[in-house]
Amino acid sequence: MGETPIDDHELRNLMTRYQGADPSALDELVRRISPPLLRYFGASRVGWNDAEDLLQDCWIRIHRSRHTYRSSEPVMPWIYAIARHTRLDAYRKRRRLESREVLVASVPEGLHQTVPETPREQEDFDQLVASLPEAQREVIVMLKVAGMSLEEVAKATASTVGAVKQKAHRAYSTLRRALGKDRDHAR
Amino acid sequence: MQDNPRDAEIERQLETWGASQSDAELSPEMRRRIQGILASSLTPVKPLPSQSRLVLMFLAVFAAGAAGLIAVMDKAGFHLMTGAQISWMGAILAGGGILFSVALAWRMVPASRQGFPISFVLALSGVGVIGGIALLFPWRTSSSFISEGTPCAVMELMVAIPAAVIFWLLARRGALVASAGLGAALTGLAAFLALTPLQTQCMFQQAPHLLVWHGATAAILIGLGALIGDCLGRFGPRVR
Repeated sequence: MGETPIDDHELRNLMTRYQGADPSALDELVRRISPPLLRYFGASRVGWNDAEDLLQDCWIRIHRSRHTYRSSEPVMPWIYAIARHTRLDAYRKRRRLESREVLVASVPEGLHQTVPETPREQEDFDQLVASLPEAQREVIVMLKVAGMSLEEVAKATASTVGAVKQKAHRAYSTLRRALGKDRDHAR
Repeated sequence: MQDNPRDAEIERQLETWGASQSDAELSPEMRRRIQGILASSLTPVKPLPSQSRLVLMFLAVFAAGAAGLIAVMDKAGFHLMTGAQISWMGAILAGGGILFSVALAWRMVPASRQGFPISFVLALSGVGVIGGIALLFPWRTSSSFISEGTPCAVMELMVAIPAAVIFWLLARRGALVASAGLGAALTGLAAFLALTPLQTQCMFQQAPHLLVWHGATAAILIGLGALIGDCLGRFGPRVR
């Protein structure tokens, strides 16, 4: 991913100072943790503007729950556990809104979002990943986008390493089948 | 992740996909806005006590509540039970209290290592209560089965519902996420607290009465708790 991994020891120190109301620790945490969180939300089937809203909502939840962080534990699984619930809430809220929505013939002016252009092959793969079941997709996003270890994903999802491995393997199988079908279709 | 050689290509594509997501950059305005929002309410906070202390807190309330109610309620059941019945039922009810306290304490902290799922706690405590009652108490019923049982069920609910509220208020010190598991853990702990004084108070120490009016009421209460937790999780805010 081309980024220096965030040092957990340093993060623990920043979190402890943040709990003690040190504003410089808060600024540093927002600066360090926001980019990976934004990537996590961005890869979660939401638009880019929504990802920024989710990030803001997530930080408010982190702030309210900061007393539940214990310095003996790694920071990122704690952060991602909160981020995961933020995303799930938004996902459910969006589904509720969509179920009440009335279709319009065309999108009103000014509501078009600028989507960065992506190569065709990558776009296809994006769609394949997006079509994965929610639980499998979540594990793939945490492993590949957030760069978390199996143990960290297990903690963030209140699961076990075995269950995380199983979900990842199922995701691989689904992708393998889908890619096979695509190739057959192309022939 | 690459046990299967065919996974190598998927792995490569996933790596490319993961890297493509890193193009996102947080705008300086957004960062400043977040920092501003959080800084406006930045006060020192005391970290939650350790997991074992949280469990002890729930157990202390459980024990104090049960002991207080036993002291003020009638003790007919206590005098009717044999030494073995008192010991086994005491151990089963205390064991249930410990299991549900542990399950509840885990749910207060995001990303806490959960040693066993809530379904395991429910299954083990259910088998304990049903097995204990079925094996320890005589299988007799009286002609007034319903009229004898209804006051026990009402009493259990009258104790368990306020107890569940108290446990919820205590658990709110953490970061709770509304879910079926949280609802089951809260009502499970409250139901076991209610079952304890009820066992020493009840004068109908027969297996059918205990299973239906004590055990089934607790099961319904836990089921309702799980249902409410699930509904709140689906339609309400998940984090308090």
